[in-house]
Amino acid sequence: MSVLVQGTGLCKAYEGVQSLADVSIAGRAGSIHAVTGENGAGKSTLMKIIAGVIRPSAGQVTLRGKAVDFSSPLDALKAGISTVFQEFSLVSNLTVAETMFLAHEPRKGLFLDRPEMERRAALALAEVGLDVHPRRAVSSLTVAEQQSVEIAKGLMAEADIFIFDEPTAALNTNEVARLERILLSLRDQGKCIFYISHRMPEIFELCDTATVLKDGRLVGTYPTAELDADRLLSLMVGREVEALYPPRADVTGENLMTVTGMHLGKNRKVKNFALGRGEIVALAGLEGQGQREIIRTLAGLEPDGSATVRIDGAGSSCVFRPSGGSARSLRHGIAFMPEDRKSEGLYLGLSVQDNLTLGVHQKQPMYGIARGFPSLVKKLAERLRIRTASVRTTVLSLSGGNQQKVMLGRWLAVEASVLLIEEPTRGVDVGAKAEIYNVLREFCAKGGAVLFCSRELPEVIGLADRVLVVSDGQIVADRPAEGLSEESILQAAMNRSPDSQPVITEPV
Amino acid sequence: MNIRLPARTGGQYAALGLLVVAVAALSVGFQDFRTSGNIENLLVQATPLLIVAIGQTLVVLTNGLDLSVGAMISLTTAIIAVTGSPLAGVALSLGAAVVLGVVNGVGVARFKVHPIIMTLATATLLQGVVLVILPTPGGAVAVGLVHAANGELLGIPLAILWSGLALLVGALLLHKSRFGLHLYSIGGGADNAKLAGVHVTRTLIASYVVCALFAALAGVFMAGRISSGDPWVGASYGLDSIAAVAVGGTQLIGGIGGLLGTACGALLLGLIGNGLNLMQVDPFFLPVVNGSLLLLAVCLRRRKELGL
Repeated sequence: MSVLVQGTGLCKAYEGVQSLADVSIAGRAGSIHAVTGENGAGKSTLMKIIAGVIRPSAGQVTLRGKAVDFSSPLDALKAGISTVFQEFSLVSNLTVAETMFLAHEPRKGLFLDRPEMERRAALALAEVGLDVHPRRAVSSLTVAEQQSVEIAKGLMAEADIFIFDEPTAALNTNEVARLERILLSLRDQGKCIFYISHRMPEIFELCDTATVLKDGRLVGTYPTAELDADRLLSLMVGREVEALYPPRADVTGENLMTVTGMHLGKNRKVKNFALGRGEIVALAGLEGQGQREIIRTLAGLEPDGSATVRIDGAGSSCVFRPSGGSARSLRHGIAFMPEDRKSEGLYLGLSVQDNLTLGVHQKQPMYGIARGFPSLVKKLAERLRIRTASVRTTVLSLSGGNQQKVMLGRWLAVEASVLLIEEPTRGVDVGAKAEIYNVLREFCAKGGAVLFCSRELPEVIGLADRVLVVSDGQIVADRPAEGLSEESILQAAMNRSPDSQPVITEPV
Repeated sequence: MNIRLPARTGGQYAALGLLVVAVAALSVGFQDFRTSGNIENLLVQATPLLIVAIGQTLVVLTNGLDLSVGAMISLTTAIIAVTGSPLAGVALSLGAAVVLGVVNGVGVARFKVHPIIMTLATATLLQGVVLVILPTPGGAVAVGLVHAANGELLGIPLAILWSGLALLVGALLLHKSRFGLHLYSIGGGADNAKLAGVHVTRTLIASYVVCALFAALAGVFMAGRISSGDPWVGASYGLDSIAAVAVGGTQLIGGIGGLLGTACGALLLGLIGNGLNLMQVDPFFLPVVNGSLLLLAVCLRRRKELGL
């Protein structure tokens, strides 16, 4: 197998953060080459350099032995490198045919040759089995259809090298199977295919070679025949997966927060429950059964929800009813971290420093001078291991894990006693996950408590001390997390017959 | 599901409908409106606005706007009146338009200055230049140009020919050329357009150049119309052309709309003046109606509505 394209010593830095450091990769003819790693490992950056989207700050790409320096993806396309980006790279106000041929439109004399464009687009769409008219507006397509258009667009090119950036994330099983057949036939025609994916089965079924990246560095390139899923996962993570969750708390002492009389709207009464000091409690169950509503009611953000909350602090206790926004709950030491950190949790345009100290500022008088609290910021950034070039960098440029840490840090800064968290580690890579879990454990060890909901059952079981199973707005089971299996949670979530009620241990 | 959806039409057909309704209402209500003299007059009067608005449409489709077109019109009439020779005057004006367009385009596309600030700055600067060249209205315009703007051919005012030609050129550029498709793609999503290989900076600069050239063309027509130069004659066209584009159903955030709507928008704005005149409404009331129409046209549409 001859080497078609080669990257040697590629580096790329964004705002001082090294996202790719000295990575080399070689793509051979007739090969499907998996590029894997955690979120933020540098897979996309590496592929974008080969695809001509970005230029490396150091290193060299060679194509069939000749050095190349692409200034745009179109340059790369003309040289025979076709890239299938993720679905959101189409131009939404154009038609399907127009977006497929954008910047290399067929012409007749001075003008666009639309009939030719639509004819060729229709052929390419038929190839991937997508039944949409080339004159449909891109904005009227579903996400899966857009992804298929993207794939058709990439395959239409006369290229020897194809790059697929997580092409299957939005596709259903049939569409994935069809894409796999296309990829295998391209391989048999002697093309070189780079395939970014997280999905283990795809990597092992399709790919003959796998390059693993971690933190912008090359871990290694291996024939997939020499790997199995566990080995690949530990290469990606760089540590044993079991060590992900910190040890559970030993003793759960007296109750820190007691919730009584909770309603999630009319006739939707939730059983009383409590969080012990130092305890992490998970709300689990099937999707959308009321886990979020319970958390948001306690945060004061659920218009139809109501509850009475009793906080037993050191030597003092108080009772209040959260409502009308998060301010009241926050005053009583209950902080809320929403799932959608980009639109609900963080101020993306503000710096790490400002986002961290925002909670502190909220406690200051309205017309007080906003100090920078540099020592507090420094302490938090170190404690949370926030990786950023400077605390003045905007949070927008941070990775998902670091953004999540900033959101967490804001509430650590105000010394909240209870954290309400929706999806503690959504879009966070494995390394940062472990760090976040550790911080939550530390927080509890100092006398706090955490109530979270998560779609990931391994996280529910691994992180929590106790699991409350929620079904149809009711807490249907209350179990210690130790030794709990995913199956037993699902069983509890689906069996809501009165017979199963005795498993509930009534607190208070 | 193979619906043939005309992409990015925007509110153009609404503008066309409104124009038809307005014409019908005025025809029924006022006998004077139906006279061929009045309708011709209306078309002639709307010509300069229509020509500027065509160029403005191209810029608005990229999510930009150009406030300097008014000063460009005034500059053109001044140059033509001062040079006295239509050929040299037109050539100089077109040259000036290219320079203006490049300056606007480089500022917006290369240095990321907000289009309002960039073109407001060049408009102010250019107005100063116009006043240096021609402080007060005057000068002489060649007879040929006066005839070309005011004359008739086979009973049809030549002004309609100017509008028609400008529309034809604009439509070919926007709907038949790669340039036009790239303008739409930039308005729809500049980052993705760039990813596909569109030369975004170059195309944006070109859009401001073409817009300034259309303004210069409107200026040449104006010079012939008023057979003199006037340093303030174009002043209102900056905002009026944007109003015509918006009333015509093109979205100011870019990507959606087109020239059919712009033509309707320009005619509607002209029609309102004409209608109020026929109704013997105080002419000072005209801006109130124009402003209300603009607000209505913009409010009736959901922002970011794509496709329809």
